[in-house]
Amino acid sequence: MNPRPSPAAATLLEVRELAFARRDEPVFGPLDFDLAGGEIGLIEGDNGSGKTTLLRILAGLLRASSGSARVDGLAPSDPAAAGIALLLGHQLGLKADLGVRENLATAAGLYGQREGCGITDTITEVGLDGYADVPVRQLSAGQKKRAALARLRLLPARLWLLDEPFANLDRAGIALVNRLLDVHVAGHGAALVTTHGAVSFRDHATRRIALS
Amino acid sequence: MSAPSARAGYVAVLRRDLLLAWRRRGEAALPVLYALIVATLFPFALGPEGALLSRIAAGVVLVTVLLAMLLSLDGLFRPDWEDGSLEQLLLAPQPLGLLLAAKILAHWLTTALPLLLASPLLAAMLHLPTAVLPVLMAALVLATPLMSLLGALVVALTVGTRRSGMLLALMLLPLMVPVVIFAAGAVSAAQQGLPFIAPLAWLGAALVLALVLAPAACAAALRIALDA
Repeated sequence: MNPRPSPAAATLLEVRELAFARRDEPVFGPLDFDLAGGEIGLIEGDNGSGKTTLLRILAGLLRASSGSARVDGLAPSDPAAAGIALLLGHQLGLKADLGVRENLATAAGLYGQREGCGITDTITEVGLDGYADVPVRQLSAGQKKRAALARLRLLPARLWLLDEPFANLDRAGIALVNRLLDVHVAGHGAALVTTHGAVSFRDHATRRIALS
Repeated sequence: MSAPSARAGYVAVLRRDLLLAWRRRGEAALPVLYALIVATLFPFALGPEGALLSRIAAGVVLVTVLLAMLLSLDGLFRPDWEDGSLEQLLLAPQPLGLLLAAKILAHWLTTALPLLLASPLLAAMLHLPTAVLPVLMAALVLATPLMSLLGALVVALTVGTRRSGMLLALMLLPLMVPVVIFAAGAVSAAQQGLPFIAPLAWLGAALVLALVLAPAACAAALRIALDA
C-alpha cells in the first residue's frame, strides 16, 4: 500500500488549530502539535477533557469541528491513510468467543503484518503463552489487554493511538507496554498516549500535549 | 510489511463470522425452531382443513421465514459495535462495503440457509402441493438474500440506538412488501398453472440491484450512525 520508506525524522502527525465542539459546546482546542517518527506524545487532561475524542478524530472515526489533522500528509478519514494509524481504545475489539490467535489472524488479514512478526511469536512476546487458543471470554481483564497489545505489535501501523494503555495491567504488563513502545519508537514509529496512572511513564514521553 | 489485499480482508471477515457462528451453533437452530412453531400455529388457528391450508401454505412459509430472519438481524452489527471490532472494520484499509458484504454473506449462510433447508418441511406440514415446492424454493432463494441485504442496511442505520428491535421491524418490513408480493405471486401463479417466471425475474433483478448497492449504502449508513 505504501511503498515510501519512512525516514526517522519525518513528521508522521501534524495537527493545526484542531478543535472539537459537541453541540456548540467546546470540548478542546484549538490544538497545535507535530509528532515525528521516533517520538511519543503524552496527552494530559482531566476526565472529560476530550482525550479519547482527540484520538478518535486522529484515527478518522470522528470529524473535527475546525482545524486540520494530517497523518503522514493525509486526512485521517482519507481511505489512503487507513492502516497508518492504529487505535487502541477502551473497547479492545476482541471477539470473546474466539481465541487470541484467531483474533490476531483476523486483524492480520485486514491490516497485514509487520515485517518479521509472526502471530505465535507475538503471543509469546506479550506473555500469553498457553492462552493462544483459549476463548478471550475466559481471560482476565489484564490478559485481554495483553491480547490487544499483541495486535499493536503484529500490525504494520506506524502511528499508535493508545487510550489508557496501562489500565488493568499489573507491573509486568506496564513494563510490557513500555517495552513495546521502545521497540516501536526504535523502528521510527510514533505513539500518542493518554494515561492517568503510571507516573514513571512521564519520562518516556518526548512531547506533552495538554488539553484544557 | 505484507500489504493487506481486499481479498485477504474479505476472507478474514467471512472466516471470523463463520467461526463465531460455529462456536455458537446452538443459536443457529433458534430461527428454525421459531419458524417451525409459528407455522404449526396456523393449522391450530384455522383448522386442519387441507384445501384451505394448501392455499395459504406458500404465503405462510414465506412470511414465517422472513420474520425468523428479522429476529436474527439485530445480531448482525450490534455485537461488533459493543466490543469495538466494528471500529477495526471501519478503520481497515479495505473498502468498508466489501467487508460488510462478507458479514452479510456470513449472516445469510448461518441464518437463511438453515431456514431454506427447513422450509420444505414447513411446506409439507401445510399441505403445499409438491409440484409447487420448487417455485416456492426459488422464490425463497431470491427473497432471503434480499432480506439480509435490506436488513443490514436498516440495522446499520439503527446500530447506535438503544432497544432498536421494534424500530428495526417498523423500518424493514415495509421495504419487504414488494418482495413478499412478487415471491407469493410467483407461487400462487404456479399453483393455478399460470406462468410464474416474471415475478421471479423481478425478484432476481431486485436482488442484483441490492447486491451492488446495499453494501455500499450500508457502509455509508454505519459511518453516519457512528459519527456521533
